[in-house]
Amino acid sequence: MAGLELLSDQGYRVDGRRAGELRKIQARMGVFAQADGSAYIEQGNTKALAVVYGPHEIRGSRARALPDRALVNCQYSSATFSTGERKRRPHGDRKSCEMGLQLRQTFEAAILTQLHPRSQIDIYVQVLQADGGTYAACVNAATLAVLDAGIPMRDFVCACSAGFVDGTALADLSHVEEAAGGPQLALALLPASGQIALLEMDARLHEDHLEQVLEAAAQAAQDVHILLDRVVRQHIWPSPDYPLLQSGPWGCFSPNIPRVSWHRQGWYAPHFMLRTPQLQ
Amino acid sequence: MGRSRAGSPRELLASCCRGGADIACFAASDGKLLSSDVTHYVIPDWKVVQDYLEILEFPELKGIIFMQTACQAVQHQRGRRQYNKLRNLLKDARHDCILFANEFQQCCYLPRERGESTEKWQTRSIYNAAVWYYHHCQDRMPIVMVTEDEEAIQQYGSETEGVFVISFKSRRERENESQESHGKEYPEHLPLEVLEAGIKSGRYIQGILNVNKHRAQMEAFVRLQGASSKDSDLVSDILIHGMKARNRSIHGDVVVVELLPKNEWKGRTTALCENDSDDKAWGESPTEPMPTGRVVGILQKNWRDYVVTFPSKEEVQSQGKNAQKILVTPWDYRIPKIRISTQQAEALQDFRVVVRIDSWESTSVYPNGHFVRVLGRIRDLEGEIATILVENSISVVPFSEAQMCEMPVNTPENPWKVSPEEERERKDLRRSHLVFSIDPKGCEDVDDTLSVRTLHNGNLELGVHIADVTHFVAPNSYIDIEARTRATTYYLADRRYDMLPSILSADLCSLLGGVDRYAVSIMWELDKTSYEIKKVWYGRTIIRSAYKLFYEAAQELLDGNLSIIDDIPEFRDLDEKSRQAKLEELVWAIGKLTDIARHVRAKRDGCGALELEGVEVRVQLDEKKNIHDLIPKQPLEVHETVAECMILANHWVAKKIWESFPHQVLLRQHPPPHQEFFSELRECAKAKGFFIDTRSNKTLADSLDNANDPNDPVVNRLLRSMATQAMSNALYFSTGACKEEEFHHYGLALDKYTHFTSPIRRYSDIVVHRLLMAAISKENKMEIKGNLFSNKDLEELCRHINNRNRAAQHSQKQSTELFQCMYFKDKDPDTEERCVSDGVIYSIRTNGVLVFIPRFGIKGAAYLKNKDGLVISCGSDSRSEWKPGSLQRFQNKITSTTTDGESVTFHLFDHVTVRISVQASRCHSDTIRLEIISNKPYKIPNTELFHQSPPLLKSELVKEVTKSVEEAQLAQEVKVDIIQEEYQEYCQTKGRSLYTLLEEIKDLALLDVSNSYGI
Repeated sequence: MAGLELLSDQGYRVDGRRAGELRKIQARMGVFAQADGSAYIEQGNTKALAVVYGPHEIRGSRARALPDRALVNCQYSSATFSTGERKRRPHGDRKSCEMGLQLRQTFEAAILTQLHPRSQIDIYVQVLQADGGTYAACVNAATLAVLDAGIPMRDFVCACSAGFVDGTALADLSHVEEAAGGPQLALALLPASGQIALLEMDARLHEDHLEQVLEAAAQAAQDVHILLDRVVRQHIWPSPDYPLLQSGPWGCFSPNIPRVSWHRQGWYAPHFMLRTPQLQ
Repeated sequence: MGRSRAGSPRELLASCCRGGADIACFAASDGKLLSSDVTHYVIPDWKVVQDYLEILEFPELKGIIFMQTACQAVQHQRGRRQYNKLRNLLKDARHDCILFANEFQQCCYLPRERGESTEKWQTRSIYNAAVWYYHHCQDRMPIVMVTEDEEAIQQYGSETEGVFVISFKSRRERENESQESHGKEYPEHLPLEVLEAGIKSGRYIQGILNVNKHRAQMEAFVRLQGASSKDSDLVSDILIHGMKARNRSIHGDVVVVELLPKNEWKGRTTALCENDSDDKAWGESPTEPMPTGRVVGILQKNWRDYVVTFPSKEEVQSQGKNAQKILVTPWDYRIPKIRISTQQAEALQDFRVVVRIDSWESTSVYPNGHFVRVLGRIRDLEGEIATILVENSISVVPFSEAQMCEMPVNTPENPWKVSPEEERERKDLRRSHLVFSIDPKGCEDVDDTLSVRTLHNGNLELGVHIADVTHFVAPNSYIDIEARTRATTYYLADRRYDMLPSILSADLCSLLGGVDRYAVSIMWELDKTSYEIKKVWYGRTIIRSAYKLFYEAAQELLDGNLSIIDDIPEFRDLDEKSRQAKLEELVWAIGKLTDIARHVRAKRDGCGALELEGVEVRVQLDEKKNIHDLIPKQPLEVHETVAECMILANHWVAKKIWESFPHQVLLRQHPPPHQEFFSELRECAKAKGFFIDTRSNKTLADSLDNANDPNDPVVNRLLRSMATQAMSNALYFSTGACKEEEFHHYGLALDKYTHFTSPIRRYSDIVVHRLLMAAISKENKMEIKGNLFSNKDLEELCRHINNRNRAAQHSQKQSTELFQCMYFKDKDPDTEERCVSDGVIYSIRTNGVLVFIPRFGIKGAAYLKNKDGLVISCGSDSRSEWKPGSLQRFQNKITSTTTDGESVTFHLFDHVTVRISVQASRCHSDTIRLEIISNKPYKIPNTELFHQSPPLLKSELVKEVTKSVEEAQLAQEVKVDIIQEEYQEYCQTKGRSLYTLLEEIKDLALLDVSNSYGI
């Protein structure tokens, strides 16, 4: 088999998206009663669950308490069945530690931690199915969970990944596209101000192209923001303005942005939403 | 993979709104549009796309819709090469075909059912999409799905009205020829993974196979490529000895080789030999062993169309009973014989034929191929020219109607005018500047003009004005795509194939005298005394060239010889007074230009610019567009002046565009040569007592200037041409792909160089023009119009242009050789006076010498030892004879000693008398044969006559050959005329006899067979 063509001459990606198009995003807040805040998100086939406790007193060693602000504690884990290869991932392996740290950095930038000195906020994220863009899904899920918990934030934190293939920036990479090994950029954005909460870049990319990729990621993050904003509004005031929300098991949202073209065409077959990846 | 999200394919929308011309224009730049005037659309099944892609490539087939499912089947099962072919087909705007992403379309996507085979699912998907497409076109356009699957025809054939499912006419089954020999002839190729791992680990080496033209059966070399060459300590190429070791790879393939142990290494042969006739005889004295290897796998096959010749009747009989499978001999020596299945062998005997290779099994000695089309009769001028074109992959069909539609109109009724919008945007130089062009006589495509004037502050202003081709050729228009494909104008010995239609190349883009033309100009402000460049301006202009001078006239004016003005048409209709004033103005301008050019040249010489032999040949055409002359530039100073101005313009444009877009501009580099290639040059020069210092371009230029034998001007010419040969060719490249140090142009001694001054005949110049325009817009903070090529695309384009330039050079050389052979063919070498000529020995081999004949510009080999093992000897009258004896080769000479003690020695640069004859060859091109008939220089009976008849120009030769061909044609036509007269006399109906009619039909039948065969 010849090498995989990530972007066809006609401008389609392997899963039929255009370069700047997002995967379908569905989310729901308040999925657990016992936690202070919780949320579930699906970005294409990537599924993540986030739970937030706090702010509460420091657990464990009191020495960790910060005098001027709250301690944000993030833990990332992924289910054994989340990837094609079924494998136990113990807590504290390198990858989840790193992801935990990244999440912590992201949310320390967004949560108004100085309002809760000497206390602790716990964010637990679990990935149920990983099909690319796990970091972005985790951030988006955690944002909703933090909002659900009623913890004051500067703004939403919206994240999205972007890659670069054949001179074109691709937004929201899937697993197949990530596995091809091109450059990959993860961006967490505070959408109202456009400030960057976290920016991470794998592999080498020529300086000239960085701006293009960054722009694609930022635009995608803005799109994510519109969707998440609707989830939140819907959660607080279920309204007939969004009739679709009552119909499905999860919320379905249709922001009127032309870039997400399958929404515009208006079909929402659950069959496709839940199709499991064949290639992993 | 959620593969079934619906997109909104642009092709879909586009094909909905058929008909509107404006939409068609839009689609041309943005996507393709199926034409609406076809009777139906064709949708090939996946199997058809896989197996019969070359049929779908025919431009006659219109309205093809490729389904994404089928394309993916090609990608997965047929590999990258085939898939790229398909991609190029889809990209090529000239082909009426589109891709429909059916798997991304909501209504067309079908999930694969449980237990359904992939093949069935693919066929079902394609059929389903075809039905959808039919309804999508509002049931107005019938759809034909072509499949090879009988079951599918039965199942779907009558399911939907308007969608027809049919199969290709059952093609003759291809016999599996590999069956015939059971034993394996070649080892199997290793799987791709093993090759890749082997290359990484350094066990195998990757490179391009290069077959030695003169010893095609035995010797091939692999030129190292990519990373592997850096790690390994190999410097030279790798020798592949014998067909077995070559393991089914063909000239040009990217192969993977394994080195043999050192004790099996072999040396290359330096003896002269006739093509692959008998290898053992000459292979006596190879050089010292060099790395030798064998091919273990092929990474990329580089098969193309090959021109072949069928064996003659006698040969067929000797090939055995199985007459349907025939071994044909390719025109190119480097390609092995190809096995063809055909019943038409006898009919095709006298023709040059194009074939393609299909496969080469490990059990088969020769590759299998199939017949494609007939080119023409062997030895017929047109047939041979067509052969040269096909062998160089040059395709020059006349410009299509769609392409011509994009061209502006300029007829006497509707003359082309400068438009007011352009007049506003461009700088108008029509009144302010004296612009003139200097070109060879009769030149039609004038793409450069010059101007010079004094500014108010006393400084000088030098201007170079180049035809604004990009104004007429929009990016990605049909004509642009065609020009890009051609990449250059091809000059053959007797004709040329233009890159742009003649309305542009000879009219609207040609900066003729006395008419308004658009131009792109560069103007420098120079200091009045030191000629230092103070300021430079680039931009679009309107000019009106005042004089269209030719070189000789300009030189006369420069020399102060004003009598030449009668030859300049612009002066003819003027009265004496204004003529005098205008003449003074022009002479001043030419003088000033020469002055400036001298200055610039001196500066470049200081950095070590080289002057090399025979770099450029200009083609002169007469009124009927026939080639009038191929002029090697006569050394006039005006030539140098014009060339210098062009080099200056090219250099400054290169600087400008590189500054604006550092990573994506097209420049031209000339890498410094390898010192080891100069060793032969140094040796040769030493033989004559000259020392050539090759350490830098400056020292080389100086020592070449000094190496001048006052008695023999040919020596210097030969040394210069050897120096040229030792250097690599200048190449186009994209700046993003190279380090800045590598931009250097060695020959011109400039840090940055590009081609800007001939957009009419080179596509690279068109690219550079667009870049310059973009650079100017960028500078003025204006929006950049049109997309620039990205570095990757530009790299690809440069490769293509370099490749085409090489093809253009080869075809020019081959056509010249063809004419040389035709010139000498009918002459009897023993009696005809002109077949005997003076030659200079310029290289020594073990069994012969290489000789250069200045009179005809022919280089060739002359044997000192013939096939029977006899050596040459020259008696007291210096006539040569063949006698038994032996040869002894030294550094700079070769001595032939006969058994009876006579000996004769040939030194480098010795003048000898040679007899020229033609060695005819049925399957290949004819070759010139040289034979030394005396070891003394050839004396022409009357020395004065020699001075009067300078070296025979190529043109004369071409003319003579063309004339004889025309005469032959004329003779035929005369016959026809006579017949027609008789018809009139006896009131017969027009038309020839039944016999001739039938003969004609027979000819047609042959062509028909060939066509259907191709399909």
